[in-house]
Amino acid sequence: MFEATERNRRNRKVEGLFRLLFLWMTCMLILPVALILGVLIVRGGPAISWEFLFTRPIDNMTAGGILPALVGTVWLVVVALIASVPVGVAAALYLSEYAPDNRLTRAINLAIINLAGVPSIVHALFGLGAFVIFFRFGTSILAASLTLAIMTLPVVIVATRESLQTVPLAFREACWNMGATRWQTIRKVVLPNSVSGILTGVILEVSRTAGETAPIMFTGAAVFMPFLPQGVLDQTMAMSLHLFVISTQVPDVPEHMPFGVALVLISLVLAMNGLSIAFRVYLRGRKKW
Amino acid sequence: MKTSRVTSAGSCLALAVLVAACGGGSRNLIQNKGSDTLVNVAQAWAESYASVASETVVAVSGGGSGTGIAAMINGTVDIANSSRKMKDSEIELARGNGNDPIEFVVGFDALAVYVHPDNPLDQVSLEQLAELYGEGGDVDAWSQLGVEVPGCSSDEIVRVSRQNNSGTYVYFREAVLGERRDFRLGSRDMHGSKDVVDLVENTPCAIGYSGLAYATDHVKMPCVRKGEDGDCVSPSVETAIDGSYPIARPLFMYTAGEPQGAIREYLDWVLSDEGQCIVYEKGYAPRGDVNCS
Repeated sequence: MFEATERNRRNRKVEGLFRLLFLWMTCMLILPVALILGVLIVRGGPAISWEFLFTRPIDNMTAGGILPALVGTVWLVVVALIASVPVGVAAALYLSEYAPDNRLTRAINLAIINLAGVPSIVHALFGLGAFVIFFRFGTSILAASLTLAIMTLPVVIVATRESLQTVPLAFREACWNMGATRWQTIRKVVLPNSVSGILTGVILEVSRTAGETAPIMFTGAAVFMPFLPQGVLDQTMAMSLHLFVISTQVPDVPEHMPFGVALVLISLVLAMNGLSIAFRVYLRGRKKW
Repeated sequence: MKTSRVTSAGSCLALAVLVAACGGGSRNLIQNKGSDTLVNVAQAWAESYASVASETVVAVSGGGSGTGIAAMINGTVDIANSSRKMKDSEIELARGNGNDPIEFVVGFDALAVYVHPDNPLDQVSLEQLAELYGEGGDVDAWSQLGVEVPGCSSDEIVRVSRQNNSGTYVYFREAVLGERRDFRLGSRDMHGSKDVVDLVENTPCAIGYSGLAYATDHVKMPCVRKGEDGDCVSPSVETAIDGSYPIARPLFMYTAGEPQGAIREYLDWVLSDEGQCIVYEKGYAPRGDVNCS
């Protein structure tokens, strides 16, 4: 019969201790998220109303709503997506489906990793020099969105490439054996089977784009505009900069307002994420393997 | 099937953006950027002007006088706001790029000295401020200014200043330290005018300088005198206009070349009684006597 020795008991004690320790660490991870959301809901919740969401700021941005900032953020995100998703997906397709494993490919991979590591303020200055001044887009939605697009390109490329690589090689080989070209294979087999993963990249991009402040501050976001932007060459207000401005620059802002703006910004990102996640789950449900 | 739906959704979005981009032709967009001191006035102007001329949209950004002047030099802004005069070298640079800066004085700003409300300090001289903030200065303790501050047991003065691209920083140096003297190290350099007041409000040991417009009920503003026996003048709009307050400065707007069309109309309105009354309401001094109801 098995008899627990002193050593067995000690091991079990240590085992339990570590389990508990790791559990605590994991719980501490939830703590900041819960605290941030809790504080925002408690202190910013009272600010939220239809009027807050759908009217313009008045009285030096100490009253009224945030409509121009809300619409501006949507503009920035959508234009950035239009610019970065086609380029990002095309680059990922090349790297995953066509690129031979040679020095050039390795250099491209290295460039992507480095691009992901560039601080956002450096992207901001690059955008100012390249899009605002050199290409003469001026401070505009176009310049700001292109800056954001470059900043988030690595995220899209990496997520897309990883998702392309989850499609089994056997699928492609079966297709090639039927006489299909690489492009036919990509279009009919690889892409339909990896859309959900590509969407993950897009989700990540949206979350990051909507919250960034530095890259848009120099390239297209205005502290205040009395009307909504009407085109990509207009400047625009944006939620993240609006939050920065009313918390640091404007005197006499009622305390609930910055919290309200932060709550709306987080909800906007979560809603966009939720939409993409729902779409992803739907697509995954239709997957045949 | 799935892919084609995604592609068509994407191209629809692109089309919508293009259509929207072309639809915006009938409006005038004025880009206005620069001084953080002026940003709140500029914002108030833009907000009110929307109901005066609804076909003109004024987009306001801050960032500091240096940011506005740099944008004027690069030609990426229609009106640059600045709380200091453009330097000759900056005007040369702008002219080199084909933007000849035209200067407009749009109001005056009085810099107030702020201390904690519990601080008994009632007056301070420019010379004391220079020894406090200037390089090689020897004022470090409240007792050297002849006061004992409740809640500040260390007696050490916490100097609050601004980041060095702020127009307020440059003007304070000019008016208090003199052209050639530098700030000494060890001050808390804040990013915005409001931050200075916020910090002083909550720090018994602190002293700071910022625009009069940022005053709140929770800070104290000692009067300022020039020399040991000069008159001590409290900061106010009136004393800034009549020139008796020693640290008040003009606020500028610059345009690239003589302003035309919508920009001209906007500047005329800014300089009109209606525009100047907004300057007054925001706690700055208008250019001259105006009748504000």
